[in-house]
Amino acid sequence: MEHAIAVDGVSLKFRLYHDKGGTLKQSFASLLRRDTKRIYTDFWALKDINLRIVDGERVGIIGANGAGKSSLLKTICRIYAPETGEVRIQGSIAPLLEVGAGFHPELTGRENILLNGVILGQTPRRMAELEPAIIAFSGLEDFIDTPVKYYSTGMYLKLAFTVATSVRADILVLDELFAGGDAAFVERGMERLRKLIGEARIIVCVSHQLQFLESICSRVLLLEHGRVSADGTPREIIALYQERSRAAAAAR
Amino acid sequence: MKPSYLAELRAHRYTFLYLVRIYLLLRYQRTALGFLWTLLNPLLTMTVTAVVFSMVLRIEMRAYAIFLLAGSIPWLCFSNTVLQSVGIFINNEGLIKKVYVPKLIFPAALATSALLDSVLSACALLLIVIVLGAQLSVHLLFLPVAFVLLYLFASSVGLLISVATVYFRDLQYVATHLLQLAYFLTPVLYPLDLIPPKFHGLYALNPMVPFVELFRAPIYRNQLPDAAVIASACVIGVATLAVALTVFRRYEDRLVFRL
Repeated sequence: MEHAIAVDGVSLKFRLYHDKGGTLKQSFASLLRRDTKRIYTDFWALKDINLRIVDGERVGIIGANGAGKSSLLKTICRIYAPETGEVRIQGSIAPLLEVGAGFHPELTGRENILLNGVILGQTPRRMAELEPAIIAFSGLEDFIDTPVKYYSTGMYLKLAFTVATSVRADILVLDELFAGGDAAFVERGMERLRKLIGEARIIVCVSHQLQFLESICSRVLLLEHGRVSADGTPREIIALYQERSRAAAAAR
Repeated sequence: MKPSYLAELRAHRYTFLYLVRIYLLLRYQRTALGFLWTLLNPLLTMTVTAVVFSMVLRIEMRAYAIFLLAGSIPWLCFSNTVLQSVGIFINNEGLIKKVYVPKLIFPAALATSALLDSVLSACALLLIVIVLGAQLSVHLLFLPVAFVLLYLFASSVGLLISVATVYFRDLQYVATHLLQLAYFLTPVLYPLDLIPPKFHGLYALNPMVPFVELFRAPIYRNQLPDAAVIASACVIGVATLAVALTVFRRYEDRLVFRL
């Protein structure tokens, strides 16, 4: 099967609420007063993105903070539904975004491994096979039957990282924030990640480590204010980005 | 093209089943009596209420206990489903923002686990009813149908409130009190005959009334519920589900931005 990602005319709108969560009180109040002062402003995180990523490509995404990099990744993973346009995916997809949030605090490490596995599309049988290797790699043998709410931050990150990277998928979507644990673990983790990157058919990744991107990517996109402003080989796009960052810094 | 909800739930059936299991386990995990609480909890509540109210209402205690147990089965199922649905999207924020899961899976799994919990405690309560001397009748075979209809209604209300709570967080607190109010407005503690007839019109507006009757008729009166009661339970259940799914369809893609 040919694996591919097609992004057609995708725009993503965020509604920024000035006070998190409308309350009943506010709604009643604005009903009564009929005032037009809105409690939100709209913000377009992505504007008319068109993109074709085909089998074998390793695509890096760079851009300043707030340019829409993570939003684009989350839209590709279907976590965000675009306001207009559509995303079509052929192949299984593994989202390696911010690590760690997907655990249920009351469940034990072992139970969370299974929960995360089935959510990522594995069968319970497959997860039972993978479980020993996951426990061994994370180095949490002694704590695996303890609820994760008693874990230290490091233990939590290790387990989350190991579970997320244990699932094989055709398409790997990788965010930079995706790493953690102590130095020794980060080193082992990077090795594991590299192996995963080597095996996946398509990679889409966001990073500020330009060297890392240059070493693994075959293509780089530059995002600026929610638009793809440049698309080409890693060398030329990274050079362009550095030049523009310098210019922006000089102008300030 | 969106796949249908059933197809999506089917594709994610392992997640669904595992979530149902978790919700059941977590309810009583790390308590000394564990799963026994599913049975003990309603029993203890019932005992206290039965003793107090049989004195207040001056009804014979045993008959009243059976009456109360029969009405409490549907009420507890409904209120547990709604109370736990309130925070279901907010509590799963971490997952929803991290990986794609059909969002319907959370309220659906929760309602299903609440149903299983209720069926189990209903079995225990029925045992008590039998010990208290109620007659076993063939009409008890209607109870599975009653549970299906109740599940339809309770899970729909749960779905509605789970979506609404994302937008109006106050509902987390309001829901408890609304349910408390609804409890007294539903003839669980008292028979409808005790209410002056001029208020009966108001009770016709309470959607829980037919569902309580679905359980009370076979358990307390040894008869099948009236066809009219069954019909109105069906209509209420299906209509609520239709409304809930329409609302959900409209908001499901935007929920993630409000978490």
